[in-house]
Amino acid sequence: MVSGDIFILALALISMALSAYALWRDETLNWVFAVPRPLAPEPGDAPLFETLFDYRPEKGVAHSPAIVANDETLSVLWFEGSSEAQPDIEIRRAVLDEGPEGWRTGAPETFLTSEALGRAFDPGQLVVTLGNTIQNDAAERSLYATVVSVGGWAMASIAEVQMKGVQPVRARKLDLSPFLNRSFLVRSPMVAYGDGSHALPAYFEMGSTYGALVRLDAEGRVRDQRRISGIGVKPIQPMIVVLDEMRALAFLRDFEDSGQLYLSRTEDGGRHWTLAEATDIPHPNAPVAALSLSGGRILMARNGGGKRSALLELAVSADEGDSWQVIHRFKREPGEARYPMLRRLVDGRILLAYSHHGKRGVRVVLFNEAWVAAQ
Amino acid sequence: MIGFLAGLGLAVILGWLAFVVLGWVVAAPLSVWVGGATGALVVLVARNTLPLRGMVALLAPFGVMLPALALRHMTMGAGLPVVPFATLEILVFLVLYVAFLTSAIGLVRLDAYRIGYAPLPVAVMVLAVCLYGFLTGNWFLPLVAVLGQALWLSGWGSSNWFDHVTHVLLVPVALVVLILRLI
Repeated sequence: MVSGDIFILALALISMALSAYALWRDETLNWVFAVPRPLAPEPGDAPLFETLFDYRPEKGVAHSPAIVANDETLSVLWFEGSSEAQPDIEIRRAVLDEGPEGWRTGAPETFLTSEALGRAFDPGQLVVTLGNTIQNDAAERSLYATVVSVGGWAMASIAEVQMKGVQPVRARKLDLSPFLNRSFLVRSPMVAYGDGSHALPAYFEMGSTYGALVRLDAEGRVRDQRRISGIGVKPIQPMIVVLDEMRALAFLRDFEDSGQLYLSRTEDGGRHWTLAEATDIPHPNAPVAALSLSGGRILMARNGGGKRSALLELAVSADEGDSWQVIHRFKREPGEARYPMLRRLVDGRILLAYSHHGKRGVRVVLFNEAWVAAQ
Repeated sequence: MIGFLAGLGLAVILGWLAFVVLGWVVAAPLSVWVGGATGALVVLVARNTLPLRGMVALLAPFGVMLPALALRHMTMGAGLPVVPFATLEILVFLVLYVAFLTSAIGLVRLDAYRIGYAPLPVAVMVLAVCLYGFLTGNWFLPLVAVLGQALWLSGWGSSNWFDHVTHVLLVPVALVVLILRLI
């Protein structure tokens, strides 16, 4: 046996030792959803519907709002700049604060810039522009941001960003594709599992284009990803609604512009998803937002009225998404209302954020289930 | 440590580029030493400049394979013995790797990249590479595979083993080598 062979055998032995350690250390993923169980409104609850925040910049875009709620603050984030995907785009926020005299909204402030984010990577990286940003529900003061270092959205990556105040202190890109982690983006809120872990709905914009459910380990590193795909369509921006421990629905925007909203289902906690199928909901090439209501119902914020619809509406399903009843249509305004996001506060009230006037404004409304029931 | 390793990977790539360019005017092994020193110096002095931050954004994660191939090429330039890859080996690698990338963009339902997160498939793949190296008498690939496994396990860099042992730039690199061998 020559020395090269001995070296290779030694490498194989080292590999076996490393594999044994990896298998011992590995924590099996829990595929049981945490089921949201919102309380039904009490008979005496007064319906509540109020606008908390309505913002339009003097010029440029303000789009893709996200609601960030943690122990310290409740805020709305959005991206703003001269035009979408431009270098001057920055993530801005407004803090929403509820006091004895009602809600107060802080002045919009710069929260995250490309330059600051680029410095937060180790080593520093060039960040050209920013896009959809959401809360990282698995870590305090942490976000998932869509970042572009070269090219357009199809070359974007998802970065986990740890914030301290309005400064990013640490950032890393999620390891999601062999194309140098390119072409993955975020939009929808995370999905909680029974063991306290979370999954990140994401989507891949290169090639055939598909949605994905990304499982993360305790350190926030990617541990698995499962596709939510379709045939002849480009299903993106999965909005996942958990039905029970094993079943969930993913409502999907068709990037192919078919004019329909698409739906995929899982019955094993997100391990496998059915091929996305068209619903009978006409919908523009735009995302929807949804969340669970009491009594097993689902609330959806969507663009109602067809392929070119600019109107936003709220609809409720009592049969797990098979049929829907429109309960509210927002008033018509110039430009499109788009990119809704729904989040439930700890006390059960619901926040809806969306962009209006054709990506040139951001609005946040607050309502409760009593208002939903009264519609 | 992640930053240090990324800086190291970038220094090796830049050193290799300098070695190749210097090779036109300076004979080896001088081009090897000067090229390597240039790569290290550029990263040390200019790591926070726009071009280098752009290179990190563009090429990271560097992984093990790309810097290892660059070092291997420079080692050959320095006159040290290296077992060359057979043309058939490079061709088979290229076909398999393009198929792997194809699966990643969703053109087929199989998602090969996904198995790079899980310990058991990674263990099998690394041992398979060791076996291949043993049969062909080439320790380079087993070394890259095991180093990649060690880094993957350490948490320094990607949580997917494939990111440590492959890189999309391997496609043009393999194509160039194949074309040069045909000429």
